[in-house]
Amino acid sequence: MGRYILKRIVSLIPIVFGISVLVFTILHLVPGDPASIMLGTNATPEAVKALRQSMGLDQPLVTQYLHWMGGLMQGDFGVSVHTGQAILPEILKRFAITLQLTLFGAIIGWSIAIPLGILSAVRVHSSVDVLVRVTAMLGISVPNFAIGTLLLLGLSLYFGWFPPIDVVNFWENPVEAFQVFVLPAVTMGIVLAAGVMRMTRSAFLETLDKDFIRTARAKGNNQWTVVIGHALRNSSIPIVTIAGMQIGYLLGGSVIVEQLFSIPGLGQYILDGIYQRDYPVVQGGVLFIALVFVLVNLLVDVIYTWIDPRIKY
Amino acid sequence: MKKRFIASLFLSASLLLTACSGGGSSADPAKNPDSQAGATGSTQLVIAADQDPVGLDPHKVPAVSSNRIYSLVYDSLTKLDDNMSVVPALADSWKLSDDGKTVTFKLHEGVKFHNGREMTSDDVKYSFERILNPDTGAVAKSYFSSVDAIEAPDKYTVVFKLKTPDAAFLANTASAYASIVPKEVTDLNKEAVGTGPFELEKMESGQYVLLKKNPNYFVEGMPKVDSIKFQIMKDEAERLAAIRTGKVDLTTVSADSAKLLESSKNVTIKNYQSMEYSYLGINVAKKPFDDPRVRQAISYAVDRNQLVQTVWKGQAALTGPLSPAQTIWALDTTEYPSYEHNVEKAKQLLAEAGLPNGFNTVIETASTYPDMIETAQVLQQQLKAVGINAEIKQLEWGNYIETWKSKDMDLLVGRNTSGVDPDRSLRFFFSSEGSANVWNYSNAKFDELVQKALEATDQTERKKLYDEAQKLVVEDAPNLFLASPQNFYAVSDKVEGFTPSAAGEVYALVKASVKK
Repeated sequence: MGRYILKRIVSLIPIVFGISVLVFTILHLVPGDPASIMLGTNATPEAVKALRQSMGLDQPLVTQYLHWMGGLMQGDFGVSVHTGQAILPEILKRFAITLQLTLFGAIIGWSIAIPLGILSAVRVHSSVDVLVRVTAMLGISVPNFAIGTLLLLGLSLYFGWFPPIDVVNFWENPVEAFQVFVLPAVTMGIVLAAGVMRMTRSAFLETLDKDFIRTARAKGNNQWTVVIGHALRNSSIPIVTIAGMQIGYLLGGSVIVEQLFSIPGLGQYILDGIYQRDYPVVQGGVLFIALVFVLVNLLVDVIYTWIDPRIKY
Repeated sequence: MKKRFIASLFLSASLLLTACSGGGSSADPAKNPDSQAGATGSTQLVIAADQDPVGLDPHKVPAVSSNRIYSLVYDSLTKLDDNMSVVPALADSWKLSDDGKTVTFKLHEGVKFHNGREMTSDDVKYSFERILNPDTGAVAKSYFSSVDAIEAPDKYTVVFKLKTPDAAFLANTASAYASIVPKEVTDLNKEAVGTGPFELEKMESGQYVLLKKNPNYFVEGMPKVDSIKFQIMKDEAERLAAIRTGKVDLTTVSADSAKLLESSKNVTIKNYQSMEYSYLGINVAKKPFDDPRVRQAISYAVDRNQLVQTVWKGQAALTGPLSPAQTIWALDTTEYPSYEHNVEKAKQLLAEAGLPNGFNTVIETASTYPDMIETAQVLQQQLKAVGINAEIKQLEWGNYIETWKSKDMDLLVGRNTSGVDPDRSLRFFFSSEGSANVWNYSNAKFDELVQKALEATDQTERKKLYDEAQKLVVEDAPNLFLASPQNFYAVSDKVEGFTPSAAGEVYALVKASVKK
């Protein structure tokens, strides 16, 4: 097991290298130039040239890449060409915010989805099942910006309530942080819930058909002992898989939700970087997200072995 | 089993959270300014801003999001009043020599930078030399191309020697891009030290910028509020909800949203005529646009009033190359014959140019701005009526700027800020050598008119030259000037004395106060 994790971590090196090359080339292929964007359409050509020089963009691409990679090796993500701020501290700060939002959203989403999914499978083809499935379909179909905008406008118009405007971390002030994150988390949770609910339902339907469940029932166990005690763990592999993918995906920053609620998360940071062609910000940010994604996948694989001891690496 | 599963989920979650807490800011004094303000009885104005500032060097960064902040931190030699006339700021008075080539400023005495040092003529000299130095890449370098030398004969006197008379010089010294900065600060993006009404207190990227009152501000009794907080809110729906619930005191809004807010209690809508205008740029070097008759035909085919109604919901004015906010200089649009909407005439002109059946072309515009896209769509419809089939290409902002610079577009929809002085709106945008002339437009007569006007010392003569230049550029039509929109602010009733105008947000903010 330990060796397996180590192997996976070592395999990160070629992944990081590959991603760095990809991001770098794609970014520099995109038309647009940070200096011209910064100075706008009223800039003189000399001003643009001077700024490009001070940003180091007049260097050949290979030199720029090596320079960036050299810094990365030493844990230096470089500075934003726009603000001159160091990138890594900013990424970490924003990642902390994204992480809180994601976990909060996931907890809301899953705590709705898993019980409902189970219920729907146990009472398959009943009216409860139909209702749950229709709701899940709705949750998948309605875009999250619509849900978010409706929540925000509805609460402010009819109840005069608006979340606190400064983002606070949970470990600083849990009550205020709860208020800050609750709307975006619910918005995110609704969309998450839909996917997990459908997965839970189908996983349970399959498990409940298995022989060992029939045996468990035959022993005279009541319905819920069978479902929770026997079926749950045996159905969790696909649920954990989809949940892990959702988390990995959301940790890259849910741009739309962040934008809508002015949550200064990782996604916003990178999106702004893209608009301004702030190369080091986008490169560093994407690389960081890729790392997180890989690590979350690793975590999911480790969780598999705990859920099902038959799985060995 | 389930319990264990959930417990370990929470455990891993909290572990992850603590692992990342190192990056988060903790125990932060600005975190709860409301309660602080309440305790000391001070007042704070909270403004919703739609973008993060991208650096605060007033000489180098033209972005609106940055400009509205450093304009409050720095002062310039002069400023504009609500009628767009130049009035004293750091300079108490100025004198122009008879030949128009020497301008002498007398500085206000006893003005202090936020670091406590007195601002003197050396700082003014340093600031302008920094702007003129090509290595700086200053936005305003081209504004001051007529400056030959700057002298500081004593502590409170600055003398500008000009190569040629420059009628736009004085108005240009009012620009925030010509802010006076202290000579000891080397990186103005990292440190913001000005003489202005507010000092930079704290910046939290993606969240807010906090400014606090400069207690030693040289203008008596200003500013009125103790602090200003720019709260970054990128989404218009969020800004609307925030102003409705009183979480912010002030925000800019679109014409559509202004309508929505009209019925809200506790919120007032304030508007003013902006200096911006939308335009259709035409590449005069490309066929068939190299024929002036084709450009004329497009002008007759376009119904500018429909644009005002559809795109701006009636909240815009017809405009020439100078926005109507430049009251002294802008010609009335009835002076331009080609502003008439006349499909027959357009068709006839096209036929004369050898294109009786019209042609196909492309309109490019920026996808970032809904008003630009709508303008392009309305134009597409209107041009269709005379047989011109235009395909619309929406470009992402960075890509749009590249296209703009390429001088290789066909038609392009954009927005300009026409500038305080007509020299900028005309010479900079349309003279053969103008930096913003990307339309390949070149007319010797026009070049001569704007150059003469720049060197004219007599205002009546200057006005006459500019009148002629405006008519000429409209007739030649390298651009169609479409509409100059109103700008809207939603203001909480807690705020008193905030009167926005095209002269800039800063003076309105300095005079604004907040009811306790």
